[in-house]
Amino acid sequence: MSRRITRRDLGRLVGAGALAGMASRAVSGGPVRRPGVVGLAPLTAGPGGRLDPVAARTAMAGALVAATGEPTAERAAAALFGPGDTVGIKVNCLAAPRLSPHPELVEALAELIASAGVPPDRILVFERSERELRKAGLPPGTHARFRSVGIERDWEARPAVSGSIGSCYARIVSRRCTALVSFGVVKDHDLAGVSAGLKNWYGVIHNPNKYHDDNCDPFVADVVNHPWIRDKLRLTVLDGVLAQCHGGPAFRADATFDLGLVAASTDPVAADAWAWKVIEAERKRRGMPGLEAEKRPPRFIATAASYGLGVGDPAKVREVRA
Amino acid sequence: MSGGMDRRRLVVLGAVGAVAMALPGRGLAGRPRPGEAIEGDELPVAEASWWKRLDQGRVECQLCPRGCRVADMERGSCGARENRGGTYVTLVNGAACAVHVDPIEKKPFFHVLPGETALSFATAGCNVECKFCQNWEISQFRPEQVRSWYLPAEALVALARKNGARLTAATYSEPVIFWEYVRDVARAARKQGIRPTVVSNGYIQEKPLREVLPLLTAYKVDLKSFSERFYRELIRGELKPVLKTLEITREVGTWLEIVVLIIPTWNDTDEEARKLARWVKTHLGPDVPVHLTRFHPTYRLTNLPPTPVATLERLWKVARAEGLHFVYLGNVPGHPGENTTCPGCGAVLIRRMGFTVLANRLAKGRCPDCGREIPGVWS
Repeated sequence: MSRRITRRDLGRLVGAGALAGMASRAVSGGPVRRPGVVGLAPLTAGPGGRLDPVAARTAMAGALVAATGEPTAERAAAALFGPGDTVGIKVNCLAAPRLSPHPELVEALAELIASAGVPPDRILVFERSERELRKAGLPPGTHARFRSVGIERDWEARPAVSGSIGSCYARIVSRRCTALVSFGVVKDHDLAGVSAGLKNWYGVIHNPNKYHDDNCDPFVADVVNHPWIRDKLRLTVLDGVLAQCHGGPAFRADATFDLGLVAASTDPVAADAWAWKVIEAERKRRGMPGLEAEKRPPRFIATAASYGLGVGDPAKVREVRA
Repeated sequence: MSGGMDRRRLVVLGAVGAVAMALPGRGLAGRPRPGEAIEGDELPVAEASWWKRLDQGRVECQLCPRGCRVADMERGSCGARENRGGTYVTLVNGAACAVHVDPIEKKPFFHVLPGETALSFATAGCNVECKFCQNWEISQFRPEQVRSWYLPAEALVALARKNGARLTAATYSEPVIFWEYVRDVARAARKQGIRPTVVSNGYIQEKPLREVLPLLTAYKVDLKSFSERFYRELIRGELKPVLKTLEITREVGTWLEIVVLIIPTWNDTDEEARKLARWVKTHLGPDVPVHLTRFHPTYRLTNLPPTPVATLERLWKVARAEGLHFVYLGNVPGHPGENTTCPGCGAVLIRRMGFTVLANRLAKGRCPDCGREIPGVWS
């Protein structure tokens, strides 16, 4: 999608107080991209797993700055989003409430997107169903900084083909949103190996159950490679306050660990490669076999990289700490 | 019909007419009563009948040959079964998303109570993905993604009685994935003197098949091709288990008919038709009806033309030449290939136009001209 700044855009940006973000986009001609870079910021949960909202805002801001290389979080947001955007944030709530994006972090991200001039009613936090959103503490409806929306039955009428998949996409991604964010968690997946930012997009097709053979490869990459996602995906955020190295996608207490990080990347493949590295490291620390040995390596990451969606080699991912 | 009907109450329009239930209002605690629309979280969750526990909270489905191994909170390939905390559940026993009163010829069953109607029903979901599926808008969706009504077995059979249907037919999507519902409806139907039938892809494991087959009056199997390549590339399934299903059905004695959808360039050669016909004759016998039906482009297979009628006629001749007694053409209304003829004397016994029986000359299941017994369920 073209992101050229017009004089009208400029006026809106100024009006929205987002002038700072204009410069980087005006220079690049599109949203900022930093292939292979994953920004990390520390964050730990308090009693009961809850987050301090101020700490969550600080961490989100730090991760965004680290991911984009912009000097401030507001400029980072403005380098990714503009006042004309409708931004969809796909949250992964399957294992809610214990292993899904913390509402405090979602709120912090929405606040930053709003600072780029996007009005709250065009910041759409969404998941497959309203039930899952409720479980995750993001009940459907209007919130201060965003709207929370369940896809329910709002699918395209015809299947779209992307590589090996043929699926009806949710119309929230095909029609309503101009920019997308994958907001996942860092967790193991019983079949795919890893469920972080890329597999989160299984939630926007009507038939994910058909695409779990062969470790979800190449299906995950094919879902993301459709222009409705590929061309709109600006940012991947991973809530790594708590992570899970085994037994996913459901929550499993004995396999979770305090990772204490929020990760952000403009490279969706690098974000998953980083998550893979983290999961393998924890499995090794516990003396567990690696995902390859368990016959569920996340091969879809390399496939996504081969499509040109990002950097898939964990060794080539550059961590930038806030 | 009661005066309290509202939009949430079942109103399902069928090809033959509208059927509706008149039942009291919505149930307590937000659960739907029979005949009411299923909303949100109300899917009828019940433990599945064919599965086993694996380690670490995973389960293995033992219903279809796919044998999905499913982690907690995940679903099988069918989308209609879910692992909930180490227990495998079905989400669709009683969740009907399509209910119509159809002529039995539409299934098609040509040797089962000609001219009668079947209360036909389906739930969302399927265990394969045919790229040419006509009903993909229910078969390829999850139950919560389509509009469904709560119709447990007894309510469904009551609906059949109310509409004068002498049969039920589990059809449209894939009955294998709602096999508990099929079983329960079959039991309830038999108690009411109604004949239960199933229209299926036959992609099912032996144990659940054997448990339900004796309850059925008739079983129609889509033998989609005689090639594993076809099954792999167009269906994401396998041929071999389907052939096994056909043999078991014959062995059990449930009335069997076979449909083969002929798709240009995929399964329309004389050689494949010959192999298929020989296999049917050898393993099932010459009296099993085989319907060769016409493909129309749909779903993900829209790059091919409809099957030429001449192709169907050519394959019909091949199958007949191999010794099959009852070979029919489907989706070609008015074609003589829709008629049932006596294998003994060649007389036309049942004359059809599409799904309509124009004339039925059978006399107690026999040809009135030569007296030959015609296999089928005639009374």
